[in-house]
Amino acid sequence: MAAPSGEAPLTAATNIEPFYVLHKGAGASSASSSSASSLPTSGRARRRIDVSGTASPSPKPVGKRCRGEAAAADDDDGDAEAYERLRLEAFRRVWSKIQSTIDEVLRGISLKLFDQVLQWAHESFSAVRSVVRPSAAQVRQPYPLLTDVICRKIPTAFVLTKNAEFVDDITTFRDLAEHLGSNGCHLAKLSATELSEKHGVSGCFRSLLRQLLSDVPDVADMFALASWYSAEENYDQPIIVVIDDLEQCSGDVLGELVMMLSEWVIKIPIFFVMGIATTIDAPRKLLSSEALQRLEPCKLTLGSATDRMNALVEAILVKPCTGFCISHEVAVFLRNYFFKHDGTITSFISALKLACSKHFSIEPLSFLCMGMLEEDCENFWRNKFDALPQVLRKYASGLPSCTREKDSIKSSNNMVEGLSELMKIQKDWSSVLLCLYEAGRHGKVQLLDIFCEAVNPELQTQKIPNPPTGKSGSIRRFIDQAIDTIRYLPVETLFHLLEVWSIHLKGMDKISDKVKELQSTTISTDAVRITKDKWPRRSTNSTGNTTAPLNDKVAMLLDDVTRKFLVPFECLPFHEIICFKNVSILQSALIGNPRRMVQLDLLKPRKHLRCSCCRKSGVAVLASMHDTSIMCNLAQEYGDVINLHDWYLSFDGIINSTHSKVKRKPHTSPSKKKSKSIAAESEAMVQARFCRAVTELQITGLLRMPSKRRPDLVQRIAFGP
Amino acid sequence: MAPRGGHAAAAGVSSGSEDDDEEAGFSRNYFLAKEKEPSSGKKRARAAGKLADLNLVDEQVLRASLAEIPPKHESEVEALTRSYKNQYSNWLFELRCGFSLLMYGFGSKKLLLEDFASTTLTDFTVIVINGYLPSINLKQVIVTIAEIFWEQTKLKRKCQTATRPQLQSFGSQSIDDIISFLNNQISDNGDDNVCLLIHNIDGPALRDAESQQYLARLSCCPQVHVVASVDHVNAPLLWDKKMVHTQFKWSWYHVPTFAPYKVEGVFYPLILASGGYAQTTKTALVVLQSLTPNAQSVFRVLAEYQLANEKEEGKFVVYLIYIGFPVANKLNLITLFASQVTLNSHLTEFKDHDLVKIRKHSDGQDCLHIPLVSDALEKLLQELA
Repeated sequence: MAAPSGEAPLTAATNIEPFYVLHKGAGASSASSSSASSLPTSGRARRRIDVSGTASPSPKPVGKRCRGEAAAADDDDGDAEAYERLRLEAFRRVWSKIQSTIDEVLRGISLKLFDQVLQWAHESFSAVRSVVRPSAAQVRQPYPLLTDVICRKIPTAFVLTKNAEFVDDITTFRDLAEHLGSNGCHLAKLSATELSEKHGVSGCFRSLLRQLLSDVPDVADMFALASWYSAEENYDQPIIVVIDDLEQCSGDVLGELVMMLSEWVIKIPIFFVMGIATTIDAPRKLLSSEALQRLEPCKLTLGSATDRMNALVEAILVKPCTGFCISHEVAVFLRNYFFKHDGTITSFISALKLACSKHFSIEPLSFLCMGMLEEDCENFWRNKFDALPQVLRKYASGLPSCTREKDSIKSSNNMVEGLSELMKIQKDWSSVLLCLYEAGRHGKVQLLDIFCEAVNPELQTQKIPNPPTGKSGSIRRFIDQAIDTIRYLPVETLFHLLEVWSIHLKGMDKISDKVKELQSTTISTDAVRITKDKWPRRSTNSTGNTTAPLNDKVAMLLDDVTRKFLVPFECLPFHEIICFKNVSILQSALIGNPRRMVQLDLLKPRKHLRCSCCRKSGVAVLASMHDTSIMCNLAQEYGDVINLHDWYLSFDGIINSTHSKVKRKPHTSPSKKKSKSIAAESEAMVQARFCRAVTELQITGLLRMPSKRRPDLVQRIAFGP
Repeated sequence: MAPRGGHAAAAGVSSGSEDDDEEAGFSRNYFLAKEKEPSSGKKRARAAGKLADLNLVDEQVLRASLAEIPPKHESEVEALTRSYKNQYSNWLFELRCGFSLLMYGFGSKKLLLEDFASTTLTDFTVIVINGYLPSINLKQVIVTIAEIFWEQTKLKRKCQTATRPQLQSFGSQSIDDIISFLNNQISDNGDDNVCLLIHNIDGPALRDAESQQYLARLSCCPQVHVVASVDHVNAPLLWDKKMVHTQFKWSWYHVPTFAPYKVEGVFYPLILASGGYAQTTKTALVVLQSLTPNAQSVFRVLAEYQLANEKEEGKFVVYLIYIGFPVANKLNLITLFASQVTLNSHLTEFKDHDLVKIRKHSDGQDCLHIPLVSDALEKLLQELA
């Protein structure tokens, strides 16, 4: 990196051109030079930046070292690169697996709604066609088909998303569009940006055409649409226009579009699907009554965000199919991020993706996660382990989780065994966790909460059974709540619960035997009671104790299983390979906080610069500090406005290290100024430094320039980091 | 500033509009005026400091010194910037994972990012956008990207047909069309990537919602990656959740460099030059000296009236001089200079040179006002004599 003083001059083309091509990629650099000249700025030599600094990762150093050394270094570099590629591939595979799981889960949850919409579309289409079935030639006529008013209504499905934040519904509507499209409907999507005043109804109609027609004519009018629709292959399906975020649209533009399309609805059956984030009142508030009358509404509702969240956590975090997991700290952070930050599933997923990429970027052995996706994972790991360079082997045996359990480290197979063991235990862990959730959901316990507790490594240290009345503090709050729920379940639900358990516990033979045993007792007691007892269990509890022991037995079984099998993977060797633990890295990448950090940079510059000159403790502001830092520190003494004159004087005072309060009076100074002509240059320098510091503060947005009315005052914008 | 949605956000980042100021300053003005009243003498000593009291150097001298400011902590700054080199491979990894990088922290990040691009992003075609410039044509950028992809596909398929018309037509297509073209660019080997390096994505020319929307849509094109820097503390207000989570997919990096904002700061006015009145006094003097002695006398009378009334009546009304006979007569202007016509021609001349401005007085009459603070005006009169 070039030193700041050695940088290109300010007038250099690279600095004052709005944009330029720095360099062409390796793949594209072989492109013909003749074509390059057609690009406005590509001809010039751009790579002026000094790259001779310390070790740069990607271009291999072509040094004059002795051969062996160089070869070894090259080998290492080659290895490092190869493993980096491997990790990248692992990330792509793991994330695409997670992403497809997410898509599947979300689509599965919304499928009921999608089918409703599809059914509605078909019904509406046949309703419209039942009025009149225009011939292709009629459709092509450039004027609307006139019938009575009733047939000028556009069937419209209002989908209530019940999400305060629209971002979660983007995927839902995308999937909905796909679903409808794959079922034969013609589909177009209009976004709020298209339905804006700026684009107007014509822009939005053009966008509609662009999505339907392969070739949009210059004059985008109804006739173009009509002639397209009258083609044989297009004729027998409705056109569905999805508007995902109704509240953000311009009411006038949408109203106009509705009025226009409604005239043609008999000839060209265009239906609307509109997403509504607030209440069903929204269209009434947005559209004119005239436009509203042209809509034939149908109300549909989307599933709740909590359901989706539970399903997602189950599919991507609990079920061990992805090969990637998160530590307790990260889980708690993500949970708080979800509940306290913005409560959208989208942000949760993007946070998880970031965590995933950080894991594969930082953890050298993370590529082994891929093994979890392989059928013969042990073989995969063994192959990979055999190929590992010495450095990585050493690293593997030095993992903190391995050094903890010293007795079982020595053998080279250890990692493979460790990982297999990890996988097996994780599978049991997930089965038990799901059983807990099945019980807890009757008591409205969320899976994410149980999950966060189940990955807590402290759970393991508190394994000793508690006294029957005692709780294990806050560590097992939700787990205990889930177990407690069982004690109050009616028999029918209990029976159903056991059924679900036996599905989850497949493969854990001992436990599923016990479950079966309990199931059989349930059936027998049930058979006895079923004739006389129609009441829920809670009321029978007071009258008789036939079922109470059963509920307790089930609860005790779950408690027992939980203590035995709910082993958080952070307690297991080699978990670092699959488990992302670095919460601070995730947090800083996810939530950039320029407002705080930029101020901290300025107030405490030594933290980053690590210079020896500004070390003096006790004195807040030193002359040796960065000028802008000095100014920022001085600014802390002011309120929301800063008097430039005073600020300058204190800056001057600090720079010249005179702590006496020099206040120059305007009318006494002229004679002085002349006598100090030698000092004038340094004064100019101080002023220049002052100016630059103010400009820099302005660039960071911490200051606002003075207005014309108050030229002596600047405004502070941010207060306190 | 609290986040208030798109438009408010853009306004929040913009560096100080007069209107905002007007509102916020309304009540404050009252107290400021109170402070400046002679009665609160003690406060006055503290608050009345003015730029005029400083011995400000000439703007040219100032600019000359600006170029010669000795760097502080040169080696530390260099070491700090160098320390980020270790992270380059991680940055590249994340970029390949599909995230965009967003660098923030105090100090110019221009050199750092360009160094990262030239040493590490060698497989990418890198396009640099200098967002700190006051005007940027985003469409040109998008057209350039499209042309790069077009070249690449042409090269790959070796198809020679119809390259010219298509190439030229990017410029005439709408941005939406070009972006949908870019969205369809899917490489078989995943190599032919373009990386947009945006210095100051929060810069003045990119602060509007539309530019950010285009950038967001660009960033989610399959072959386009984004590395950007922000300097403004309120930069996150530029984006809504959709842009952050589904389009840009930012991965934030706090990389303070403490490097001077040399190029980024070029377009900001110097606070002690244009902000102060030294320059305006000087230009006013030049203009006045080029006028006739008669005109100079009229200006002098006006200025003296303004100064005298400021001292008598307090802050606001003082600057105002009524046009028309009562005042003109009072000042003997007409008797001095023969006719209303001559006087008017002088006044028009003053107005044309911004020596006086017309304001509405609170009673609805037009008033003349010399847009200089009293100290500057006094100085001007001194020098004019």
